[in-house]
Amino acid sequence: MSETLVLESAELGATAADWVALLKPRVMTLVVYSGAIGLVVAPVHMNPILAVTAIICVAVGAGAAGAINMWYDRDIDAVMRRTASRPVAAGRIEPASALGFGVVLGIASVLLMAVVANGVAAGILALSIAFYVFIYTMWLKRLTPQNIVIGGAAGAFPPLIGWAAATGSIAMLPALMFAIIFFWTPPHFWSLSLYASEDYKRAGVPMLPVVKGARHTRVAVFVYTLILLLVSLVPYWLGLAGRIYGGSALLLGGAFVYYAWGVLQDRQDRLGNSLSKDMPARGAFKYSLLYLFLLFGALAIDRLA
Amino acid sequence: MKPPAPRIERENWSPEMVAEFKRRQRGRNWALLAVLAGFCIIIYAVAVVKLHEYGQMW
Repeated sequence: MSETLVLESAELGATAADWVALLKPRVMTLVVYSGAIGLVVAPVHMNPILAVTAIICVAVGAGAAGAINMWYDRDIDAVMRRTASRPVAAGRIEPASALGFGVVLGIASVLLMAVVANGVAAGILALSIAFYVFIYTMWLKRLTPQNIVIGGAAGAFPPLIGWAAATGSIAMLPALMFAIIFFWTPPHFWSLSLYASEDYKRAGVPMLPVVKGARHTRVAVFVYTLILLLVSLVPYWLGLAGRIYGGSALLLGGAFVYYAWGVLQDRQDRLGNSLSKDMPARGAFKYSLLYLFLLFGALAIDRLA
Repeated sequence: MKPPAPRIERENWSPEMVAEFKRRQRGRNWALLAVLAGFCIIIYAVAVVKLHEYGQMW
């Protein structure tokens, strides 16, 4: 698209799809899924209407955090190829409008959660939004290559929220689900950052491949995947999940380690940069999404069976 | 006498741009209507469930 057309497009205002994009719908999918699994595996039955509304609150809260993230990161989004077409970075939505949209939706989602479920679920939802906005987006993302490791906690809250919505408390199983997403996030994002490191470098974001190099990142992906495999087996070892989950965690985790091994062994130059256009890292990134989907699915089936 | 409707589009816009501007505006309005309708349905359904739970209905 030519520059003139882009400018004209921005001048004509946002489409409804732009406002939806502001909520990061792809991230929202994962949040909704993991939150719903947290709710389903909880030992307390929740009225279906309240359960669906609670999940909508989680989705809207995550979307609100995404909108505020796009408001704050509009400068670096604009210089990264992957994010340049985002509605605020591309100028189709005013930054102040995005911020207002995010703040209003965030507050509304927390208040509605308190009415629909309970104060514990609403409190964790508020904490997750605040963690993503203040700790990850505003503090860690531009400061340290460990941004993803610590900031990953923000994306790990939904199973806790789902469980808390049903039970009004927190227990070991949702805490372990939190830990699984927490240790899943680094290999997931670092696989992506291996083949998007030029983007991050241009934007000045200190992602691990930019600061420590590709070779270090490959080792980190492999180590974190091994830790993830061990953590994912803990629910089975503690008797919180049965053989369906235990077997699935072993198989799926083993496959993830295989992909991470491929990332580690990728043909590379002296600095560790890929000579295969990062095909193994692309594969690991795609598999990581499938991994989490199937692992949590297996947990739900195991608990319901 | 009825005052003329305010013109939001710019003077230098072509007819195609005006049409596109109005199409986007219409799309946003419909989306907002859907969101508000959905919100009303949620609040209504939650209210019915909560009242039922506390034994104040039916």
